[in-house]
Amino acid sequence: MNGFSVAVLISAGRHPVSGAPRACRGDVAAMAMGKSLVGDELRVIHAGKRDEPSLQDYMAYGAGTIDVIELAAESDVCSALASSLGEVDLILTGGRAEQGLGSGLLPYLLADALRRPVLANVIDAKIEDGGAGAFEARVRQFLPKGQRRRIAGPLPLVIAVHPIAASQLKYAYARRVSGRTEILSDLSASNRAVGPNWTVEMVPRRPVRLRAQDKKSAHARLLSAIVSETKGGVVAFEGTVVDKAQVVLNYLREHRLVEF
Amino acid sequence: MSDAKRVDPRRPYRMASSGLRRIVLGEIISGDRLPAGEKLSSSTRSKPLRTNVAASRWHVAIAHSYRGRLDDHAREAIAAAAILAGPETGVIAAVLGPFLEDAALLGADKAVVFPELDASRFQPQREAATIQALLDEYQPVHIFMPDNILGDGDLGRRLIAKNGNSSATHVAEIDATHISIPWSAGSILAGAPLPRFVLLQAGAVDSNLPFLGLGEQILCSGAMGVAEDCRDLGMECPEGASIPLEEADFIVSAGNGVSNVATLEDLARSLGAAVGASRVAVDDGKFPREKQIGASGKTVSATTYFAIGISGAVQHLQGIKVCRHVIAINRDPGAPIVKRADLTVIGDAEEMMQALIARVSQARAQTEAAEVEE
Repeated sequence: MNGFSVAVLISAGRHPVSGAPRACRGDVAAMAMGKSLVGDELRVIHAGKRDEPSLQDYMAYGAGTIDVIELAAESDVCSALASSLGEVDLILTGGRAEQGLGSGLLPYLLADALRRPVLANVIDAKIEDGGAGAFEARVRQFLPKGQRRRIAGPLPLVIAVHPIAASQLKYAYARRVSGRTEILSDLSASNRAVGPNWTVEMVPRRPVRLRAQDKKSAHARLLSAIVSETKGGVVAFEGTVVDKAQVVLNYLREHRLVEF
Repeated sequence: MSDAKRVDPRRPYRMASSGLRRIVLGEIISGDRLPAGEKLSSSTRSKPLRTNVAASRWHVAIAHSYRGRLDDHAREAIAAAAILAGPETGVIAAVLGPFLEDAALLGADKAVVFPELDASRFQPQREAATIQALLDEYQPVHIFMPDNILGDGDLGRRLIAKNGNSSATHVAEIDATHISIPWSAGSILAGAPLPRFVLLQAGAVDSNLPFLGLGEQILCSGAMGVAEDCRDLGMECPEGASIPLEEADFIVSAGNGVSNVATLEDLARSLGAAVGASRVAVDDGKFPREKQIGASGKTVSATTYFAIGISGAVQHLQGIKVCRHVIAINRDPGAPIVKRADLTVIGDAEEMMQALIARVSQARAQTEAAEVEE
């Protein structure tokens, strides 16, 4: 026993092109992180339909037994999860769902409902024993421009895993066949989720960019059409090599691209 | 010479208030023709104010700054707030981190700047409490944020979780009445009425505005006494060369004009930059294939791209499309990279690199000496 419990939430993944059911990549990364923390004690939870075809893929990646919180399509996932995950110390989720809205809001709503902190874009995590039953998660957070941030957060905690987190899970057909689902609770009659009604269009199209209406005179429009915009920036021809190096350094400093 | 009467094409004229050239035949103007540079003054004339009505309602755009500036994505969020604002609606830009730009050019009537809440520090609960106080004060109709990984996407979702669910994330299309998002992250869109919280994808809005905001800047300090549940253990800043090219912020890139790879690597080290290369340099065997930038290599999104000895074929320029600052060193002033670069230095690559290494290490030593004195 580890003294703390970890659960990973998995969603019904879909291949972006073919639409074939598959394990959601972000959720597989989260499952891999959970496996590395507690091994086979990891609870794998799916809120949705019991006969969801993509669950087989998670079993192949080593989910073992998947607990299903059975829900109707339109019901409120967050409150159903919050009512059944109150005792779990560490809840792992993927970044966003592959199917439907995919807002990436679930970890935040769940953390708010359970009144615990949330950390997003996590790429690896370790649990440290602080003594007296207090555990602390040490995580690395993904940031752009090659930066990573290290954060320590006390359990209980919700962690949303970034899809680039390393996943060592291997796909095995034998596990796919031997895996089982267990109905955790049947909440299919629970309250409907409130939110905007999304109308899904039938035909793919490019989104239209929002532009400000420009009330220019006809003359100004003509001018902007015939006068080509100046292309290219400053060109430094003259001077010695040292002068030119100074020009480059001045540019870097002027735009605060370097710290010296 | 014939005696035919000829029309002087540069005969005297005056500029009408609409910017049109007005010629009145027979009129004699006192000889002051406009100098050539001022003829286009109408197109470069400063823009009008968006509205002259005092604001009674507000739109708020929230973004983190990066090195004192807002990136294009953040500008788009402010532009969306300004474009969708009616005449009696004011636009507030809440900037987390230092802000050195002119907010009026971005379309904001007020810029509320919180210099202590910059993105390099991890204080999500303090940020959320600060912005919540701002929202409670102004009660904005709509809140616009860039849905990025810099910290705005995270902050926006925290605010949405607290403020109920009139929200949309990953918004790809927006107008005064509705928003659309890519359904299942694909090419099919799904629409809904315009919600209160809008987290915009990059490219949903054109940030070029034909008007100005009032641009009043208000410096504020963040909320005090907010305890963070999680502790920030600091940033890991990997050394320039070890960052993958797609993520790097500063790239020094070599082309056919670079003969000495060791000098280039020295320069990259002294600037703290990652090393890239053009196809020619990679084909010559000077660099491994994973360093190649361009159509058949990698697409990079660095803020600064330093192209040394690269002529700038279209295939290469494709790979650096989104780089904000491009600096080029090239021997040929007619090379296509000169048109793309913000600064071009004409000269020999090897000599220039040596001079730059010397100048940069000198400047670095001076700054460090100054810091020690303080």
